[in-house]
Amino acid sequence: MTDTAIEAADLDLSYRRRGAPALRGCSFRLPAGRVCALVGPNGAGKSTLLALAAAILRPTRGHLAVLGTDPAAARPRVAYVAQDKPLYPQLTVAETLRLGAELNPGRWDAARAGRVLADAGVDPRARVRSLSGGQRTRVALALALGKRAELLLLDEPMADLDPLVRHRLMGTLMGEAAEHGTTVVMSSHIVGELADVCDHVLLLSGGRVRLGGGIDDLTHAHALVTGARPLSDLDRHTVVESRAAGRGLTALIRPEGPLDAGWQVEEPSLEELLLAHLRAPAVPPLLTPGTTAAHRGVAA
Amino acid sequence: MSTLSSLTRPPRTVLRLHRATLWGALAFLALMTAGTAALRRGLPEDGDVPGTLYSTYLDYAPVALLALPALVGAFVAGPLVGRELEGGQHRLAWAQSRTPAQWLTARLVTGAGLAAAAALALMGVFRLGAPRGYTELMWPDRGTYEAIGPALVAYCLLAVAVGALTALVLRRTLLAVAVTGALTTAVLYVLGSLRWDLVPLDTATGRGDGWGHRPGLPFDAFWVNQGVTNAAGERFIERHCVPERLPGHGCPADTRVTQWFVDFHPRSHFWYTQLIECGIVLALAAAAGCAAYAVLRRRTP
Repeated sequence: MTDTAIEAADLDLSYRRRGAPALRGCSFRLPAGRVCALVGPNGAGKSTLLALAAAILRPTRGHLAVLGTDPAAARPRVAYVAQDKPLYPQLTVAETLRLGAELNPGRWDAARAGRVLADAGVDPRARVRSLSGGQRTRVALALALGKRAELLLLDEPMADLDPLVRHRLMGTLMGEAAEHGTTVVMSSHIVGELADVCDHVLLLSGGRVRLGGGIDDLTHAHALVTGARPLSDLDRHTVVESRAAGRGLTALIRPEGPLDAGWQVEEPSLEELLLAHLRAPAVPPLLTPGTTAAHRGVAA
Repeated sequence: MSTLSSLTRPPRTVLRLHRATLWGALAFLALMTAGTAALRRGLPEDGDVPGTLYSTYLDYAPVALLALPALVGAFVAGPLVGRELEGGQHRLAWAQSRTPAQWLTARLVTGAGLAAAAALALMGVFRLGAPRGYTELMWPDRGTYEAIGPALVAYCLLAVAVGALTALVLRRTLLAVAVTGALTTAVLYVLGSLRWDLVPLDTATGRGDGWGHRPGLPFDAFWVNQGVTNAAGERFIERHCVPERLPGHGCPADTRVTQWFVDFHPRSHFWYTQLIECGIVLALAAAAGCAAYAVLRRRTP
């Protein structure tokens, strides 16, 4: 077993030959065993990146390794739930699970799939087309968990669930992941939803990774400083964003050395960090050590 | 897991997805069988009685069979492959432990099996419902020709491959259905017009103008050209040139008839044309199938 779940180097993907690419020079490394939040605005390339890792799409250029091998070879060890939770509407819930068992010979764990559906009151004889949005999400997740994958790719898994169900289902998911050491990548454009359960974050914007690393490492690497001093005082550091606050200013910076006295220093929250980077597209990306791609420049 | 079950398993899951269509097709087949049996009841075994519903059935049933390839193609381009690609369920299928190529294979094998079974079943119904001697005499007719030989099965297999290819290329269900129907029908029509040029014609000749008995010409021959020749062997059509030359028709200078001639395909040519046509159609089907895999491979890893 490899210690890297996903490694991408200079990944490009264009849906049309002449059109803006959905991913552009995307590079990062995700260590195995992490629960990673894939965040970014709409159209950042989150779904595209997940579909590439799930071997649904082929990259236009660049290198992508999943669980130490190419995505197609890793397919049996990866589970993927697309954003719109595709299911066959004409099948019943029981038949859908049977499909999972038949298409994943030797891997299928019916008990695990059953646990996801257990407390939702989903009738196994109900046709998928008659299910509510939340129930469909449950069935899609059951299918993914039943596969006993080493890497779970979930595209906005909780988007159409009410907060109560969301909380409970996230608990089930995290319990299963923790028990089996599964790497999980979950995309969302709501940061708060993921901050509690994830230990790793990838911020995607404009088709590339802007921030990547352990959540603690990333927040430690930044500082929220406030002081009645000019901005030029922060020239030695990387200023992500600054704004006037009273007679002085507040800035989110990446300290490149000790800070002068006179600045009031706080550690930013994950949300502050992500939003500041989204508002400042010109700031160079930051990938914490261990999360940069080693495989740079190798064609797929 | 044995090799056999690994081969039969995916088609079984595909069959489960299309249970409704399958039951519909079986019901249609039962209806056709019962209808044919009901029409034939009480009629003489060797003849079609003009003016009866059975006679109308005999006129149209073989022609209706020609729609089968287009129907099969529409099923493959629509529900079997196209709808899945448009509805996004292919992403569910490809995220399991099977490759996209295996996904396509399962659909092609299922489609081909169902199409061949449907074609053979309907051909059987037609064959049993036709009066004795009918197919021996009507074998070159469009419709009947396809209904009594393997060509119809070949066209159905072509429709499966073309349906899968157009669905993969166009990724729009309705458009793929329309294009597949048009392509399949076009191939059926074009080859149907060319098939009698695939095998050289036989020619029968004899003394006189050919009115009355023509020795050496089998009763079940398919006549392609007929006419008369003069002493020099030049061919012409008697009523165009004798007693007077009708304008717009080529007539030799000497219009004294010495012999009649008929260019024809004997019944034995049926199998030559069927097999050559099957070869062409199956080659096209193989090309379309390979192209479908190539399109899939270009898009997925």
